[in-house]
Amino acid sequence: MSEHQDGHHVNYRNVYLILVVLFLVSVAGPELGIRWLTLVTAFGIAIVKANLVIQNFMHLKWEKRLMKWMLTTSLILMFLMVAGVSPDVLNHEGRNWENLAAQAAVERGVEGEGEGGEVAAEEVVAEAGFNAAQTFNLVCATCHGTSGAGDGPAGVLLDPRPASFTDPAFWETRDMDRIRAVIRDGAASVGGSSLMVAWGASFSEEEIGALADHVASFRPPE
Amino acid sequence: MAHARPIATTRSATGIPTGRLAVWWVLASEVVIFGGLLGSYLMHRLGHPEWADAAAHTQTWIGAVNTFVLLTSSFTAVLGHQAAEKGDGKTAAKYLVLTMGGAATFLIIKSYEWTNEILHGYTITANTFWSFYYTAAGLHALHVIAGAIIMGFVAFDAYRGRELHRVELIGIYWHFVDVVWIFLFPLLYIAK
Amino acid sequence: MADTAVEVHHGHHAHGDHDHGPSGILKYIWSTDHKIIAMQYLFTGMFMGVIGAFMAYVFRMQLAFPGISVPGYGQVSPGEYNALITNHGTIMIFWVAMPVLIAAFGNFLIPLMIGADDMVFPRINRLSYQVFLLSAIVLLVSLFVEGGGFGGAWTAYPPLSAVGEYNQTDLGSTLWLVAVALEFVAFLLGGINFITTLMNSRAPGMRAYDIPLVLWLIVIASILFMLSVGPLIAGAIMLLFDQTIGTGFYDPARGGDPILWQHLFWFFGHPEVYVVLLPAIGITIDVIATFARKKVFGYKLMLYTTVATGVLSFFVWAHHQFIAGIDPRMANVFTVTTLLISVPIAELCFVIIATLYGGSIRLTTPMLWALAFMAEFLIGGVTGIFLGASGSDIYFHDTYFVLAHFHYTFFPIAIIGTFAAFTYWFPKMFGKMMNETLGKIHFWGTIIPFNVIFIPLFVLGMGGQHRRIYNFEHFPEIATAAHFQLRQIATIALLVMLAFQLVFFYNCIMSWLKGPKAGKNPWKANTLEWTAESPPPHGNWPEGLPSVYRGPYEYGHPDREEDYWPQHLPG
Repeated sequence: MSEHQDGHHVNYRNVYLILVVLFLVSVAGPELGIRWLTLVTAFGIAIVKANLVIQNFMHLKWEKRLMKWMLTTSLILMFLMVAGVSPDVLNHEGRNWENLAAQAAVERGVEGEGEGGEVAAEEVVAEAGFNAAQTFNLVCATCHGTSGAGDGPAGVLLDPRPASFTDPAFWETRDMDRIRAVIRDGAASVGGSSLMVAWGASFSEEEIGALADHVASFRPPE
Repeated sequence: MAHARPIATTRSATGIPTGRLAVWWVLASEVVIFGGLLGSYLMHRLGHPEWADAAAHTQTWIGAVNTFVLLTSSFTAVLGHQAAEKGDGKTAAKYLVLTMGGAATFLIIKSYEWTNEILHGYTITANTFWSFYYTAAGLHALHVIAGAIIMGFVAFDAYRGRELHRVELIGIYWHFVDVVWIFLFPLLYIAK
Repeated sequence: MADTAVEVHHGHHAHGDHDHGPSGILKYIWSTDHKIIAMQYLFTGMFMGVIGAFMAYVFRMQLAFPGISVPGYGQVSPGEYNALITNHGTIMIFWVAMPVLIAAFGNFLIPLMIGADDMVFPRINRLSYQVFLLSAIVLLVSLFVEGGGFGGAWTAYPPLSAVGEYNQTDLGSTLWLVAVALEFVAFLLGGINFITTLMNSRAPGMRAYDIPLVLWLIVIASILFMLSVGPLIAGAIMLLFDQTIGTGFYDPARGGDPILWQHLFWFFGHPEVYVVLLPAIGITIDVIATFARKKVFGYKLMLYTTVATGVLSFFVWAHHQFIAGIDPRMANVFTVTTLLISVPIAELCFVIIATLYGGSIRLTTPMLWALAFMAEFLIGGVTGIFLGASGSDIYFHDTYFVLAHFHYTFFPIAIIGTFAAFTYWFPKMFGKMMNETLGKIHFWGTIIPFNVIFIPLFVLGMGGQHRRIYNFEHFPEIATAAHFQLRQIATIALLVMLAFQLVFFYNCIMSWLKGPKAGKNPWKANTLEWTAESPPPHGNWPEGLPSVYRGPYEYGHPDREEDYWPQHLPG
């Protein structure tokens, strides 16, 4: 049931040839190495090519206005979305905040060897020098307390209470292997409470070892 | 096909045949899907100038060949539509099969390209640039595969002189797949 | 005349129904008839509603009586609590509100109200239900796999939703995401059917402004859905990859950004609430016109206002992210647009009130539901103002104030709207009349407890009670006896409300089995569905499809003896 759309006889072959020429220009343009020219030829030509395909091959030129409006609307919505989201995703700092992780990623990449492969987050932290005490205070002390006594502000609300590393009784049943295992896989993995979650995804083995050593530093002298 | 076509399908209060109207709506939803993905990529790329190093390793010449392949397949698709308009099902089917050949070529070239890149360590998890690269091009490739399969069914019917209006419909979808690639190519291969 | 030829052709088909596939029970599984597919969506949606309600029962019991072994469930662990609230929200929005309001009533009503014999793509229609059913099954399975159901809130913000070690529900969170994605696909397929059918397949003589408003609103909702879900589908693919293969789309240390997910989610999430709102408003208008025996005040006004609301709904999304760390300049913009969008909605309310004014009002059960929708949604709407203003939102965000606000909007939409539609169209769907007395008992037994549940939650929210906490005993300032009393009042009201739903189910079943026959047009309404048999047979009008001669709301016309003037009557 295809209507014969008289009044428009597109020479498809000519359109195709124009498309090929434009394509060749868009590939040749970057070879000149001028950045703005590259962008103009790459995207400008893309828009022209897309337009040719849409109007002539898809016959949008002869389609009812309603559909043209509809498709334009969906395109405009995409621009709206990018406009609304860009201020957040593009910026890595504002007046009162900084996205430290993202900034670090950018610096790493810029200083990197340019191989196109990723430098793993763990390696980065190792490069910066992992500070076990600082990390403990940032991450663990909320529950375990900065003095390791299990008296952190979030810890008082938990049941069971977080372990106190200053309690001799704690050390009667723990060794370093178990402490590392609990940090890496969570206490539930050794039969403890699921409130102590697994941190293995966030820290490398060396870092876990450093953290375990820091925990051991709270141990009361015999 | 034992199914009776409802009268509803044959009506056209807008003047646009029902099938074509539906395909346009499908395309509208595809525009926002790809738009969302490509928009997200664009924002990340602009915020991460250091991705230029990763992006330098996409193979522009292979991408260019694939662009040419898809352009040509759009051409054969529209020639198929021309034949179908004249009622010539056999020729239409022939052009559709050529288009499917273009799809297959595109996919084969892409497989070669990706294998190459993966062997060099540029995997989907290597770097977020590559994550976007494989996801965007992969979603596009899925649409190429789906389109080619549907095109096969349409060609089968067209060869027997049946449902010739569907040649135009699958053509419109196919051109859209081409248009997405027209934008993917500069995004991933040229303006890196 | 083309019409006659068409009618003859169709009559010929109806006689020898041999091309309509298998019979018996298989007929219901493989049917492409829009009415059967509507029933499938309706019953699946209602079933999922019962599950969502059960989840609410369990977590409300835990909140009111912390540590209790909930009858019928057991003790609620913190992880289980999170899974319950997450899946309650997800199920109610995606597997109850959308399938019932849009898919079920859209499928049933669109062909009937425009005088068509089916949807334009019956097999795609069937496919959409099958994909939908699959999505429901996947979601339910996610609750029972190792680790349990996903507990990262229906908003699924990364990194919690992206990293298995954080959410502790590795498999559950992936299945949840896959289920949601499948549901999106099902509604995209369905939406294309609805939009195309309404645009193209109207009866001869039915111009654009002769279409009943409920259909306009269902189709505009479908368009809103289609245009807004794309970015989230892209985002969901990225989240799925983060979950399963370890990409870093939302990990800042890997060059990603968790705020991107929030934006992608809410760019869809806000239009989504209008996607479910619009059908409910449409149902309300049609019910009110019928039982006020009055023309809708300003058909075109309603239509253009709805379109304006739809357009504006794309400009307000970041009001969900005011304190998430977005650019404060954007927060300014979104405050203005959010407050602006209350204007067209208020206008819709005024138009409906104006429709009622001077009408000959009959307080049948559907009418009661429609009026209750207006009253309760109004409360929901005005409480939204406090949240749309970014200043006050700094305090209210993530408190129970938000929760009470969106239940005062979602409950009218998903529950009250459904009951309005169901009690109104039950006679057409099943051929019997529902019992009015039981209907009214059910109505009051739902509405009064509903308010008793959520008003205490406004109070608690204003007092600083945070969302997504499984045990308020851990927060001494809001763990006083008075606070717990409020929680218990809300919970007991929920129990009462759930109990009254039994009245509804009883009414349904007894009416279906033994109710009085409904006849074609028990409500004396104008729209085309009331000219078909109750229930309509396959093909809807075997004797020939109707034509249309006027608009859908010609009630109380001075030239007529009767107070209604059906669309299909010539002259």
